[in-house]
Amino acid sequence: MSTMNTMANALSGWGLWIALIGASLGTYFCRAIGVLLSNSINQDSEIFRWLAAVTYAMVAALTIRLIIMPLGLMATVPIWIRILICVLAIGVMVSKPIKRLVPALLTGTLLMVGYGVIR
Amino acid sequence: MSSADQPYIDPSEIALEESAAQRFKSPNDAFWTGIRDAAGAPAMVLFAGMVGFGAMGKTNGFDVWFTTFTSFFMFALPGQVVLLEMAITGSSVVAIALAVTLTSTRFITMTVTLFPQFHQKDRNRSLYASVHLLAMTAWAISMREFHAIETKHRLAYFVGLGLLCWLISIPGTVLGFYLAGMVPPAVTLGLVFINPLFFLLTFTEVKPWINRIALMLGCIFGPIFFIVDRDTSLLTSGLVAGTIAYFIDRKILRKKPGVIG
Repeated sequence: MSTMNTMANALSGWGLWIALIGASLGTYFCRAIGVLLSNSINQDSEIFRWLAAVTYAMVAALTIRLIIMPLGLMATVPIWIRILICVLAIGVMVSKPIKRLVPALLTGTLLMVGYGVIR
Repeated sequence: MSSADQPYIDPSEIALEESAAQRFKSPNDAFWTGIRDAAGAPAMVLFAGMVGFGAMGKTNGFDVWFTTFTSFFMFALPGQVVLLEMAITGSSVVAIALAVTLTSTRFITMTVTLFPQFHQKDRNRSLYASVHLLAMTAWAISMREFHAIETKHRLAYFVGLGLLCWLISIPGTVLGFYLAGMVPPAVTLGLVFINPLFFLLTFTEVKPWINRIALMLGCIFGPIFFIVDRDTSLLTSGLVAGTIAYFIDRKILRKKPGVIG
C-alpha cells in the first residue's frame, strides 16, 4: 500500500501532537471569540462578510482537493469515477425541493463501495 | 461539521424575547428533548462523517489515539480534515495551526448569531464551556427551534443537543478507525469518501451569493495553488478566492436589487 510512502515526509512524533494542540487551541479560540463578541458585534459588518467568504473558499478548496487530488487509498480510484459519483450524489441531493442529505450521502458512499467491489 | 456551513439566517427572524408558549416544564425536560431531537438524522450524518474521519486517519497511517483526540478536542470536521491533510504532506506546525484556525472562523459567526438568544441569566462565563459543543449540526437545529422555545429553556435544550453530537463523535471515530482496518478495501473506500462528499453536498444548501461565488472560486483556485505550493495552498486559495468573492459582492451584486442572498 502506498500509504507508508506518503507518511515518509509527514509530520510525526511530538510535532504531530503539537500541531494537534495548536489546531485545538485555534478552534476553541474562534468559539470563545464568538462568545465574547456575541454581546456587541453586528453580524452584518463588512469584516464578517469577508471572513465568511474566505472560510467558504477554504472549505471548497479542501473539498475539491480531497476529490480531485486525494492521497492514499482514494488515489487508486480513477478520477472520472470519483467525479461521476459526486455528480450523481448531487443529483439525488437537489432532485427534490426539500434537500435530501442522507439519501444523497448514501447514494455516493454505496456507489463508491460498489466500484470497489467490481474493480 | 461540519462543516461545511449552513446559510445565514436573517437576524430579523430571530425571536429574542419570550415568544414561545410553555413548551417545556423544566430545564431538565428541555435538555432531554434536545438529546432526542439530535438522535435522528443529524446525529446519523455526524456519526457517518466521524466514521469517515476515523477511516481516513487509519488509511493515512495515524494511530487511534491521535485520530480520536482530534475529534474530542477539535470537534470540527473540516478543521480535522485540514489537520490530517497538512500533517500528511509535512506542513509546519505554525502553518497547520493557522489554516485550521481559519477554517474555524465560521464558529465566530455561528456563536454571534446563536448565543444572544439565550436568557440573560444564562449569559455568563459558563458559556465558554458550552460553546465547545457548538458545531454546524447543533447550530442549524437550534436556529430552527429556538423561536418556539422559551428563552429560559434554550440553553438546556442546546446543551442536550450539542452534548449528544459531541459524545457520538468519539465512538464514530474509533469505529471508523478499526473498521478501515478490518473490512474489505471496497468498504474502506466508501468510508474515506464520506467526508468530501458530505462537504460537497452541504455546499448545495448555501444560499447567499457571496458565499456561493466563494465556493466556486475556491474549487478553481484550490487545485491551482496546490500545484504552486501545497503547504500554503489552503490559506492562499481561501484568501484569494474569498477576497475576490467579497469584492464581486460589494462592487457588483449589492448594486443589483434582489440579487443578494
